Order: sequence, then C-alpha cells, then structure tokens
Amino acid sequence: MSSGLRLVAALTLFGALYAAFAPGLQSASAEDTKGLSAAATEGKQIFDNSCISCHGRNAEGVPDRGPSLIGVGSAAVEFQVATGRMPMARQEAQAERKEPQYTREEAAQIGQYIQELGGGPQLPAGDHLRADSDEDIAKGGELFRVNCSSCHAFGAGGGALSSGKFAPTLEHATDRDIYAAMLTGPQNMPVFGDNQLTPEEKMQVIAYIQNLKSDQDPGGWGLGRLGPVPEGLAIFLIGMVGIVIATLWIAGKS
Amino acid sequence: MKRRKIDLAALPANTGKALDERFQGATPLRRLFNKVFPDHWSFLLGEIALYSFIVLLLTGTFLTLFFDPSMTEVKYNGSFVPLRGIEMSRAYETALNISFDVRGGLIMRQMHHWAALLFMAAIVVHMFRIFFTGAFRKPREANWIIGVLLFWMGFTEGFAGYSLPDDALSGTGLRIASAIMLSIPVAGTWITTSLFGGEFPGTEILPRLYIVHVLLIPGVLLALISAHMGLLVKQKHTQWPGPGRRNDNVVGVRMFPGFAVKAGGFFMLVFGVIALMGGLLQINPIWLFGPYEAAVVSAASQPDWYVMFLDGSTRLMPAWEIRAFGYTIPALLWPTLVLPAFLTILPILYPFIEARFLKDRGSHHLLQRPRDVPFRTALGAMSIAFYMVLVLSGGNDVIADKFNISLNAMTWAGRIGLLIAPPIAYFVTYRICLGLQQHDREVLAHGVETGIIRRLPDGRFMEVHQPLSPVDEHGHPAELPYAGWVVPKKMNRLGALAPAIKGFFFAIEKPAPPKPPTAVEDADRHEVTSGHR
Amino acid sequence: MSGHQIEGQEPFDVDDPALTRFDLVREGARRDGVEIVHYKPRFPVPGTKVERRIERSIALMLTLAGVFAVAFVILYIWWPWEYEGGSNAGKWYTPLLGLTLGGSLVFLALAIITWGKKLLPEEISVQERHDGPSAHDEQQLTGATIVNMGDELGIARRPLLKAAVLLPGLGLGAAAVAPLVGGLIKSPHEPDAIFFETGWNPKHNDGHPVRLVREDGTPIRPEDVSTGGQMTVFPGIPGGASNKWADSPTLLIHLRPEDSALAYKNANNSERPPGINGGSQWGDFVAYSKICTHAGCPASLYEQQTNRLLCPCHQSQFDITDNARPVFGPASRSLPQLPLDVDAEGYFVATGDYKVAVGPAFWERP
Repeated sequence: MSSGLRLVAALTLFGALYAAFAPGLQSASAEDTKGLSAAATEGKQIFDNSCISCHGRNAEGVPDRGPSLIGVGSAAVEFQVATGRMPMARQEAQAERKEPQYTREEAAQIGQYIQELGGGPQLPAGDHLRADSDEDIAKGGELFRVNCSSCHAFGAGGGALSSGKFAPTLEHATDRDIYAAMLTGPQNMPVFGDNQLTPEEKMQVIAYIQNLKSDQDPGGWGLGRLGPVPEGLAIFLIGMVGIVIATLWIAGKS
Repeated sequence: MKRRKIDLAALPANTGKALDERFQGATPLRRLFNKVFPDHWSFLLGEIALYSFIVLLLTGTFLTLFFDPSMTEVKYNGSFVPLRGIEMSRAYETALNISFDVRGGLIMRQMHHWAALLFMAAIVVHMFRIFFTGAFRKPREANWIIGVLLFWMGFTEGFAGYSLPDDALSGTGLRIASAIMLSIPVAGTWITTSLFGGEFPGTEILPRLYIVHVLLIPGVLLALISAHMGLLVKQKHTQWPGPGRRNDNVVGVRMFPGFAVKAGGFFMLVFGVIALMGGLLQINPIWLFGPYEAAVVSAASQPDWYVMFLDGSTRLMPAWEIRAFGYTIPALLWPTLVLPAFLTILPILYPFIEARFLKDRGSHHLLQRPRDVPFRTALGAMSIAFYMVLVLSGGNDVIADKFNISLNAMTWAGRIGLLIAPPIAYFVTYRICLGLQQHDREVLAHGVETGIIRRLPDGRFMEVHQPLSPVDEHGHPAELPYAGWVVPKKMNRLGALAPAIKGFFFAIEKPAPPKPPTAVEDADRHEVTSGHR
Repeated sequence: MSGHQIEGQEPFDVDDPALTRFDLVREGARRDGVEIVHYKPRFPVPGTKVERRIERSIALMLTLAGVFAVAFVILYIWWPWEYEGGSNAGKWYTPLLGLTLGGSLVFLALAIITWGKKLLPEEISVQERHDGPSAHDEQQLTGATIVNMGDELGIARRPLLKAAVLLPGLGLGAAAVAPLVGGLIKSPHEPDAIFFETGWNPKHNDGHPVRLVREDGTPIRPEDVSTGGQMTVFPGIPGGASNKWADSPTLLIHLRPEDSALAYKNANNSERPPGINGGSQWGDFVAYSKICTHAGCPASLYEQQTNRLLCPCHQSQFDITDNARPVFGPASRSLPQLPLDVDAEGYFVATGDYKVAVGPAFWERP
C-alpha cells in the first residue's frame, strides 16, 4: 500500500515538474481553457497534472490505459477522486477506496472541468443528501433490500463478486459518495438513474444506510454484521474454547 | 444439638421411613448415590450438549409465549423505526416484537440461538472424543448410533428454528430446502407441494415447521437423550487405563456428592457462558435482514454453522445434471441428500466394520489413546479434513471478501482441497501417531531426558537420561511395558523437581522442602547416558 | 436388613453402636459393588489457615453470584430498555442483562466447583462392572418363555389365523398413514402446472400481456432504466410482487449497445431448446428470471462491466450476454429469458410466460 502511495506521489511530482518545464504544453493548455469557468480551469490544471496520462488530452481516453471521460459527468469524477479510487496506483481489477489525493473541493473542480467538456450526471449541492423522517428511513430500507443488499450485504459491509471483484463496504461512504455511486454506477455497480430511483428515493436509501451505520447494535457486539460465519467462529473460539478450558480445571487434580 | 426437639430432629428419618414403606426406594436410591464415575476432562464434553439442551428448553418455552408462526400479511407498527409501515408476515412481526417490544425478549432470543449453536458444537466435539478414544466399541454401539441420530435431529431442529422468524435469511434457507426436496427423483415435486401446501412458499410451511420445532423434534430429542443417558448408566462410563483400572471395574468418585457437585457447577458454568454470549454477542439480527421477499437476498447468505458443511458441498458440486428420456436428476441431489445419507450410514456402520476388520468380539471399557490406534485416528483426521473443507467452503464468499481472495479461486481451492486434504490428513496423522508411540517406547526404555549435557572422556557430548525403572549392574534400565496411558516425559513429573507453588499472587501453602540427598540414594542411582542404543 | 450377610464377609450389624456413620456408608457402598479404596478428608484438623482461606473465597464467589443476580433484577426493572435509534443507554440493556445473569451463573459455578474440588474429601472408589451377558440359565429360561408365547398363541399351528391376522395388521397400518398422507398430499400438476408457469402468464391478466412493474406496482418505461442499470421487476397483476408469486421476480437489464449486439447474436445459440430466446430482447433490454436455476435464490448480483450475474447463495455465475448461460459454479441451466415488448402506452410488457420452467430443476422437467 505505502509503496503504491509513494509511486503515486512520485508520478504526481513528476507530472507537476513536467507541466512546469514543458512550455509547449503549458501554452497549449492555456488556449484550451478558453470558455471554461474558473473552477473548471482549476480542475483542468489538476487533470493535466494527474489524470492526463491515462485519460488522455481533453479526457478523450487512451486505449488500454484509461477510458474516455466525455459524458461521464461531474458525479462520476467526484466519486472516483473524492473516495481516493482515482488516481489509480496501478492497473488492477478494481480500484479500491483509499486515502484521497485531492480534497473534495479539488475533486469538484476536476468534476466541473469534465462536466463542461462533455456533460453528464451531476450531484445536487450540499453534503446532506439524505431524507430525515422515520418514514423515509423505512422506505429507504425497502429500496436498499431490493436494490443494494444483494451485493453490499444486509449490514452494508460489502461482499464478494466473481473472480476477485467485490462490492465495497459502505462503512466510510458519505452521503455524496453513495448518491454519486447510485447515479453513475462506478466499475461493476449497476447504474440507478434518476428515472429508476428518483432523487427523493436515493435520499431515502442514503437515509437508511446512514441510519444503519449509526445505529448501535442492541444485542451486544455485532460481530461485524456478517451473518452466520462469524457466529459459527464465535461459538467455537469463545464458547467451546472457554468451556473446554473450564473442563480442564474441573477434572484436573485438586 | 443439645436442645433436642424430638419431633423436628426425627422428621427426616421418619419421612424417609414413610417413603420407603410406600416405594421401597432405599436400595435402588443408595445404588444410584453410590454409582462411580471416572474423572477426565474429555468426559465432560457430552454434558455441554445436555446442559445446552436444558437452556434451549427453558428459553424456547419463553419464546413460545410471544411467537406466532402465522404467515398472514401484516403491517409492522412496532418500536423498530427502520421497519415501520413495512408489510411482513405475522411470524416476522412477532419475532421482531420479541426483540424490541418484549422486555428482556432479545436476550432470550439470543441465548436460545447461542445455546443451539453450542448444542451442536458440543455434539460434534463429543463425537470426536468418542471416536478417537474407541468408546463406541462393543458394548456401546447402540449409544454411538443414538448419538449419530441426535446429531441429525439437532441439525433438523436447528434448521427449523432458523426458518421460523421468516426473515430474509430464513426465507432464503427455506427456498433452498424446497429446491433440495424438488431434486428428489420421481417424488420430488409431490413431496414439495405436499409439505409446503402448494408452491413455495405458500402459507402452510411456518405453522407446520413450528409444531415440528416445538413439539415433534424436541420430543424425539428428549427420548433419544433419555435413551443415551439410560444406556450410559446401565453400561457404566468408560475409563482411561491406569493403576488399578481394569476392563471390569470403574475407578472414580461416587455420584453423590463428588460427581454431582462438579456436574451441577458445570451446568451453571455452561448456562453462564450462554447467558454471557446471549447478552454480549449479537446473533441473528433479524431486523437487519428484513422480511422475506422472494426477490430479496443479501450477500453472505449462510446457514448456521452446523448446516454450513452442506452449503459448502452444494457450492463445490460441479454442474452435473443428468437428463434422460425427458426426466432430470438435478445436480443438487448429490451434495444435499446423497452425501448426508452417506454421512449417516457410514458412522452408524463404523463400529461394526472396525470390529469385523480387527476380528474383535470383546467388550471394551478401557479407552484407547488416539496414538495407539493410528489407522482409526488417521481415519478420523481424514473425515475432519473432509468436513472442514466443506465448512470453510460454506463460508467461502465471506472468506474471499474479507481476505481479498478471488471467489472463483476459493471454489476451486475447495474442490481440489476436498480431494487432496483428506489423504494428506490421513498420512500425516498416521505418521504423527507412530512418532508419538515411538517416543513413548523410547522413554520407557531409556528414561526421561534431563536436559543435562555431559561430555564423555572421548570428547562426545551426551544427554543424561533418568530411567523410569531400576537399572541392572551395567547401568541399563529394564525396559518397561507400555500400559496404554501417559508416559512421564518431564523431570518434574517424576517428582525430581520441587512441586509448583500453589496460589496466584502469593503461595497458599509453602512447598515441602526438597528432600536432602541420602547416602543410600547414591548407591542405587546411576547416571545413565543415552549412548547405549 | 440388619444382620445381612454377604458371602465371604463378616456379618454386619447396622445397629451396632460402635460403628461410625462412615462405616455404614462404606458397607452400603460395598453392597452396591463399590469399594471406597481411598478416602481422606481434605482438612482433618478443622479451621486451618488454608481451609479458612478456601471458605472465604467460596463465600466471596457466592456473594458475588448473589450480587450479580440482584443487579440483573434491578437492571431488568429500571434500566431503559425500549428501542431508540443511535447510541443510547437502551442499547446497553441486553449486554448488561447478559453480563449480570452470566456473571451470576459463572460465579455460582466457580463456587460450587471449588467447593467440590477443595472441600469434599479426597476419594477413590472402585465399582465392579458386572458386565457381559446374563447367566446361561437366565438366557435359556427367558428364551424358553419367549418361544412359549408363540406356542401358546399357536400361530404356527393355525395357518388360517396366520393369514387372517395379516389383514387387520396391514389395514390398520394403512389407516394410520392414510390421514397423514391424504391430508398433506397436494398435486404439483393440477389444477395448474405450478412448476411450469409464473405470474407472467397472460391468463392471470385476462389474456392480455402482463406489464413489468416495480415493487410498488408502477409500470416501467424503457427510459426508466439507465444504460448499465438493472431493475427487479414483478408481474403487473394483483399481488404480483408478493410472495404468492415467489417464482416470478425478474431482472430487467439495460445493456450497453455493444453488449446488446452480442446478446442479439447469441440469442439464437441458446441451448435446450435451441434458439428459444430469439426475439425475447427488446432494444438493448433483456429480462431474465431472478430465480436461480440451481437452488432458487435470487440471482441478483449484476456486474455491469463484465455482464455477469452472480447468485450469492452458491456462487453460480451467469453470462448475461449469452442467454444467461451458467459459466461458473453449481448451476447447470441458463436463467430463463422473459420475452419483452413495449405496449401502446410505452410500458414494458411480457409478451408471454417464460418458455421453460423457472427455478431449480426437478424430475419432471425435461
């Protein structure tokens, strides 16, 4: 992991140096910024530093390295960058959540740049993208069970997919992350567009997930909310081992 | 005792006499009190299952006061906010009510579930003990068979209980159960529709499972447990070999008070562990699963651990469906019905197979150390390896997810592991048994390693051994016969070192001062080196 | 009972005042075949320091057991227990009950076992097993008695009765089984071939094609599912999303154009029966039964990039672009495909029922 981070840092640094000492590129990008908003210009700067090597100039994609980002929208960019999945440390089956390289503001700036390049789904403003009433939580729970729990599991702890892929845990996911994921369908996750799950329904789902995460287990330690596997482990490692140690004492010499 | 109140003091004796005049209990009662039980930790494993069963009866009775197995659709309006207004069956609603609206109901539910897991775990561990020590041999074959039946009854009882709350996990389990019934050749569809009262899930299955869970199987379990205990009392407990222990006696303590006090205390301990787990470790959080809906499933859908080996066999089974003449034998049949049939019949027959193989017709009341019967121990290890691969495969998606392994790789590892792990386990266990045997014989022949290294005049280094038997005039110890029991292998076992000081923070009693060496000792004790092999 | 004499032993007078109570105990045990070979009180001198220490520690454990039990009752009555979301005192109700009840029981157990181990006398008793078969006489006598029962009844001598007695035997046996079987039995083939049809059959909708609806019953337009999206749909008939139609949930998937083309191409390659899925696809949309053909779980883990559908119960994997053919795991049949169309109002409908039985395989299924 740390070597991956070092690699990213090195690449970023290299990119920054390259950008600074390559006048041709610099002037070219200055021309490209025409018609972009201030935020998008900032975003383009970051894009040209860190993303361009895989996603290509003007986000048109590089064959076998990174897909075109035309039309993916700011929601997808914000999700991938703000959760640390992009920039990727290396090419692998599935990008994982990690410590983000950029702040949420910077992620939004890159998103704005991509948005202005080719359009696409956008997130609503604000950090609080969840419905708040009890009815909304219950309704969100129903939607969660039909649409989400099959991969992310009933406790939102994630689950395995085919051949090493997986649905990640939602433990650290913010409202915006979950909203963006539903809207854009990152990696192998299906897309839940606004016609399928309306913005209100998305906020209900988020309300359920965040409530699920903040709700302390009433029955003691939840064993990771992973179902019968940890329960089976517990009965042997805690119950049986404890009792067998007791039998050694009971039947031992006194 | 000075102020004698005649009526009161004579009361117990008079009551005893009055009772004996009516029931003639004096002789049989005393015989029961005086029954001798041998003492060894491994003899307590079966008791864990017995005590868990009592806890299951107690907590289960509490749960029936509040549970309604009806599949009528209702709208939930209880305390658990995230499910309010959701359509669900009455069974799921009442299970939620037990968890949230009955005071202390949640701990009862959790204790019931943990006790069920412990019941099955204790049965399995107890079974290992019986197998590896040869306690199933004549005359105890019948009790071994009852034990096998108890496992399968407990298995069925547990599955029925797991299915009752009608949450998403139990509904998924029932759906798989219906698919397993469907896979039975010829009669599968008829059996399924008859038991479910039509197509899955129908409205009949939970009330039917309920009566099975609270009356039929508990009745059978109770009868089998009674028979199991009755045979144990009649045939008396087996014992390990040792001084004074023969095939025709039992050495231990009388049932009352010595054995009964320990057993009573052990019951409280098992009960206490179940209560602690029931309160501190959350189990089966049905409110997170949601009500059963045919379209809903969660990642990591697993049965309880004792069903997991069959889930594992189902996951590993290749897609070998047989189709001929317009009929089908589904692949599901083999891992879920044929395999369990083998796993029932083989253990039931094993005592007879082994007796025939060894041409052994005698009755055995002395246990064998696992190392002394390498083929049996190796067979047991082989079975456990087979079983463990299946259990792990039953949770392979969780393992894959938590340890970042490919799910498909896990399945293949299980398929290959199922074929190669058992023979490896057999071979390795066999070698270990032989090695342990050999070491026992070496110690008996040459003595205990003292850790004292001595340099011989010719420059070689030798470890000094303490022989276990008197030595002859050349300093060679007589070779002792192996008695089928633990051979001392450390000097402090021989009393050569001071006994350990008792007490945790400070000594409870002062250790006896070590005996000063006497002159006589030097005459008949010689150092013996290990260089005489 | 007094003066009872056992062979080879001295006569024993239980009323002899010189006998201690333990003499009586030992004699009682001897008559039960139990020899108490070693018996030693742990503390022959009462009130030693060690004994008092053990007594104190047992008393402490018993006290703690009592204190925990009382704490349990107090917590049970006064601790807030009603459910409330988030983290609050009520969430500690069950753990505290477990801690106090379990603590009480464990301390009681420790006290009892310590009592048994440290205060009860050291004892080694030997009981003879008297195992093995009954005496030869006994075997012969009992055997004769059993055989004689048959003779007394004279079954062997009376062939007429032998045959006649079979009839009520078999008849009553059948009579005992009949109500159980008769009450439970239900045909899987009549009145409906329930294993071969689902809620998508137009006959449940007055012969009209059944609409695809969401769980709440609202119909679906093609634009409702984004590219790379999937939706669980139910037959648009009364109760279509309920467990009454547990075999009908279906997964509607909107493929990307290139995957859609692949699915079109493969539709004619479907196995068993060949080409059955031709024409089922509508535009870039495909709909497959959500009920796994292996054991009936909802196969619903859709990977939109690899177009694989995974069943979480036994990890069967299906290739969505190739007739939902099983590509990994224990499933051996493709997921049945629902023939799709869009009606005049622009909503998805199923033009007919599934063409093969959905869900797990069974004997009668070709």
